[in-house]
Amino acid sequence: VLIRPASSQESVLQPPCGPAGLPPAASQTVPLPFPMSHGTTTLAFLFQGGVLAAADTRSSCSGLVACPASQKIRPIHSHLVGTTSGTSADCALWKRILSRELRLYQLRHGRRLSTSGAGGGASADLGGTSGGLQKASPSSSGPGLWYVCSDGTRLRGSLFSVGSGSPYAYSILDQGVRWGLTVEEATSVAREAVYRAAHRDAWSGNCVDVYHVTSKGWTRRKREDLKEEYYREKGRQGR
Amino acid sequence: MALFQVSGLKSFAELREQILPARQTHLFDRTNHYNFGTKTQEFAVPLGVDPSGFLGTCSRDGGVSIDLNHGTTTLAFKFRHGVIVAVDSRASAGRYLASNDVNKVIEINPYLLGTMSGSAADCQYWERLLAKECRLYRLRSNHRISVAAASKLLCNMMLGYRGMGLSMGSMICGWDKEGPGLYYVDDRGTRLSGRMFSTGCGSSYAYGVVDSGYREDMAVEEAYELGRRGIAHATHRDAYSGGAVNMYHMQQDGWIKVCKDDVSELIHRYRKGMF
Repeated sequence: VLIRPASSQESVLQPPCGPAGLPPAASQTVPLPFPMSHGTTTLAFLFQGGVLAAADTRSSCSGLVACPASQKIRPIHSHLVGTTSGTSADCALWKRILSRELRLYQLRHGRRLSTSGAGGGASADLGGTSGGLQKASPSSSGPGLWYVCSDGTRLRGSLFSVGSGSPYAYSILDQGVRWGLTVEEATSVAREAVYRAAHRDAWSGNCVDVYHVTSKGWTRRKREDLKEEYYREKGRQGR
Repeated sequence: MALFQVSGLKSFAELREQILPARQTHLFDRTNHYNFGTKTQEFAVPLGVDPSGFLGTCSRDGGVSIDLNHGTTTLAFKFRHGVIVAVDSRASAGRYLASNDVNKVIEINPYLLGTMSGSAADCQYWERLLAKECRLYRLRSNHRISVAAASKLLCNMMLGYRGMGLSMGSMICGWDKEGPGLYYVDDRGTRLSGRMFSTGCGSSYAYGVVDSGYREDMAVEEAYELGRRGIAHATHRDAYSGGAVNMYHMQQDGWIKVCKDDVSELIHRYRKGMF
């Protein structure tokens, strides 16, 4: 899929058009050369203090933990953060392309593209990759959260969790997330959700990253090893 | 022996050969689950039928499609004051909701409970068979069967038909001389003793909630609330679970049915204050 330079005032990230302005028919799905392995837990939600995003740090390749300290939440610019799940290679590539396009937009138009525009651009670009992205940012209209998937799905919402560990995280988030949470409470809910998912899901684990995005930009919490949380809990239980 | 020949008694083996044709060792056409298939071929399947092959053809796209009922959430955990068992009550057949009011807990006897997940027909049949065997054990040996033995019986029934297309994930819960007992048994013959299990397609959602709130020294009311929350949050996210939470508490002097709460009301209560 080509990204054509802007020739008008419209959004730079427009999919190529076929006759009658309709997008061209999707190409045949290319068969994968070998079974892709991806597992992760990422989550993000909106609350009164902005947007909170959290993810584990395990990159797995079938049964091998390829990297126990990968970064699944990548900042795109000072006010936009994206989480990645699916194939690491695809996510890394498209994230960089998105950052580049957003920077070009900012330079040309003198203002940052909104989250929905960034989400739209990302979904147009993700032609044949696998994976899901969440984009979290407060824009001029307040905090925004979009879920973008490689098949073109683009959903706006207030709470998402993506990856093989997401069911375990969802129930914790459903229990604990409220609009009126303080930043500390929201952080602890997000950490707990990733910890529970990492505990039960084989492909999630190692450490947890938490990013908090406000109108002033994103801040990152120090990476925490979930092993310590496990032993702390075990000590509390006295097992 | 001399006495034997003088008295004219025939040995049992000779007598049996006269009554039954060669190689048939049962008088009745019934599988005996206590021998566990060691002495004779015990599969009650007619010769020439291949159940798993037949079931394979039933799920092919474009042909006849029989969707087995797989959707459910059940959970059980042991704690200081016994065992809590909580299940949802939805039965689905593919995309169709067959019923929102199914009882997925079978009350085997006042000290034993079994949960059902997977194929409803398989669960109901095999657990009723287990109930029958437990009753026969009680009558023959004059004491109640232990939870370990009951789960072993079910496990061996599953092993007898392994690979033939059964689908069952069950938890056998009870209180016997060893204290509270909880075993997970499934159609592949897995049998695990543990402190907490959850089965069904909504189980991952339940695991998150129960892991988070579990403490071995919980009060009874807290444990009830944890069981209710586990099922309620699982039914909220899983399309194939829903209906009501049926909850049982296994105590030392038997089980009690705690509640049957509608899941939509519970979720409404829990998610108050959310956007």
